[in-house]
Amino acid sequence: MIKEAIKVEELTYNYGDLLAVDHISFQVKKGEILGFLGPNGAGKTTTVKMLTGQLKPKAGNAEVLGFSVGKNVREVQSRIGICFEDTNLYEGMTARENLRLFARLFSVDGFDPDGLLERVGLKGRGREKVQAYSKGMKQRLMVARAILHRPEILFLDEPTDGLDPTSAESIRGVILEERGRGATVFLTTHNMAEADKLSDRVAFLDQGRIVVLDTPYKLKQEYGSRTLKAEVYTDDGQLEHREITLDTPDTPEHVRQLFADYRVATVHSEEATLEDIFIKITGRGLSR
Amino acid sequence: MNYRGIAALASKDFSLFFQNRFFAVVTVIGITAYLVVYFLLPAGVDETLEIGLYSPIQLSALESVQEEGFRLSPLDTEEALRIAVEEGEYVAGIAFPRDFVRSVEAGERPQITLYFPPDAPAATKSAMKGLVQGWGNAQTGRDINVDFSEEVIGRDLVTGPIPARDRLRPLFAIFLIMTETLGLASLITEEVETRTLKALLASPMSISELFLAKGITGVALAFGQAVLFMAIVGGMSRSPGVIFVSLFLGSAMLTGVGFLIASVARDMLSVMAWGLLALIVMMVPSAAVLFPGATAGWMKVIPSYYLFDSVHIGANFGAGWNDVWPHFLALTIASLVITGMGIWALRRRFQ
Repeated sequence: MIKEAIKVEELTYNYGDLLAVDHISFQVKKGEILGFLGPNGAGKTTTVKMLTGQLKPKAGNAEVLGFSVGKNVREVQSRIGICFEDTNLYEGMTARENLRLFARLFSVDGFDPDGLLERVGLKGRGREKVQAYSKGMKQRLMVARAILHRPEILFLDEPTDGLDPTSAESIRGVILEERGRGATVFLTTHNMAEADKLSDRVAFLDQGRIVVLDTPYKLKQEYGSRTLKAEVYTDDGQLEHREITLDTPDTPEHVRQLFADYRVATVHSEEATLEDIFIKITGRGLSR
Repeated sequence: MNYRGIAALASKDFSLFFQNRFFAVVTVIGITAYLVVYFLLPAGVDETLEIGLYSPIQLSALESVQEEGFRLSPLDTEEALRIAVEEGEYVAGIAFPRDFVRSVEAGERPQITLYFPPDAPAATKSAMKGLVQGWGNAQTGRDINVDFSEEVIGRDLVTGPIPARDRLRPLFAIFLIMTETLGLASLITEEVETRTLKALLASPMSISELFLAKGITGVALAFGQAVLFMAIVGGMSRSPGVIFVSLFLGSAMLTGVGFLIASVARDMLSVMAWGLLALIVMMVPSAAVLFPGATAGWMKVIPSYYLFDSVHIGANFGAGWNDVWPHFLALTIASLVITGMGIWALRRRFQ
């Protein structure tokens, strides 16, 4: 019985002279959510395409569920679900028709589109044509399409990008449900907060290379610095912010000084974000 | 009037037009194709009738006939004359009996055999009889009495003029096929442009299955409508099997054309533009049906010739399998080649 849902060795892809994915190697355990993070052009989508059989690697190997993607692409594609970055639904068809079509392509017996639509928050909207849907509704339908055959691995490419909070939360709920039933999730995103919230481990991709791969907790421990944030009253009664870096030799003295000098209104500690860590490691941000 | 402004705008639009690779290519290909077709067609109205002649005796009045709009080509045997007429080399053939002059001089009524292709107009038949009479006058110096034996050879199985609307049946049927072909091309293009194709290709469906599905859709739409049309207008009554197979092979071939169009088109508009270009080229051989005798040899290079002709002779002459099997062979080869090219081009686009 294989333990790794995804096993990648020296995977490489180039578009002409541009090396999009540069000899990356990693593994994803079964039932794990891996956040695959990086700025635009880092090679995230190209990696997903190679792992899902949409693109042939120029070098290296990719195994998904124990199958070589290059040699068993249909076997792999029948066991995975993909939610693409761009909306690609049949807009002239209803949501139910869209789902039924793919249920037939995936040979799903006894498919219940209404139950699935309810899961993604589209209850009662199944008979509407997709072209009448909002962006958030379309994205939820894309997620529904990706999970309709109960895939063993779910590839999600920027699933909540540009969505309203309700839609984004709905999709995050489905991702956790899928993991709950044992599915592995490969989550490609540039949304660090989302990755932090959902992922068991995160990989930082920069210029086609994985620069770091670990749990968010360990990354914060290793690369982040915690801070103490306080709101204090000044002599003239104004409320001002003060910030002290924790975990340094001078921290106790700085904290004592803060309380000695000011009347403190609020105080709380704050951990480094994944974005802070990404900037620290790569020297640049993740903004699109 | 701001002429400078108008000129600047016009100049900008020309520039943008030709920066668009699609419009630029279609424009150039369109002009080239239309010019090639135009110059390949006969430049003038040639009313000279090509007639095959078998005469075992010397006919001295032959030269005077050559100047009256008939071009006579002597053949060595009557069998060679029959074959040449059957193959469409001549609009008619005349075979004189060996004792023609003696019979005329003896006041007898010699029998002259006239060979015609199946679609020879009645006017041609009358002209041949007049020609022989005039010839006899020139040869003997007096009116002659002859009996004519008309023999229609080739695939014609009945004689008689074909009504214009029946002559147009293959054209209408093939127009229907072509229209559905454009619809198929448009569907595929939309699938690429809206990226739904990506979702299909990431499912367990293989690319071959995808092409098969599209091919079935294209052939079924085109073939179904064409068969329905031919059935309603009575085109299937005489050789239903021949028409059925012709339309099926034609639908398959034009589905391949649809694949080719979809491989280059970017949207509905470009499907129409490329489709129109393909349509014009494919329709050129219809001249063979609409204007009998106008068929230039090069038209047979266009595979749709075999579709038009097999539907035409099947529906209007009741042609059988023996008459059309070379057409089916040509259509099968063309379907395989064109569909293969279409799949290759589409596969490249998908990847």
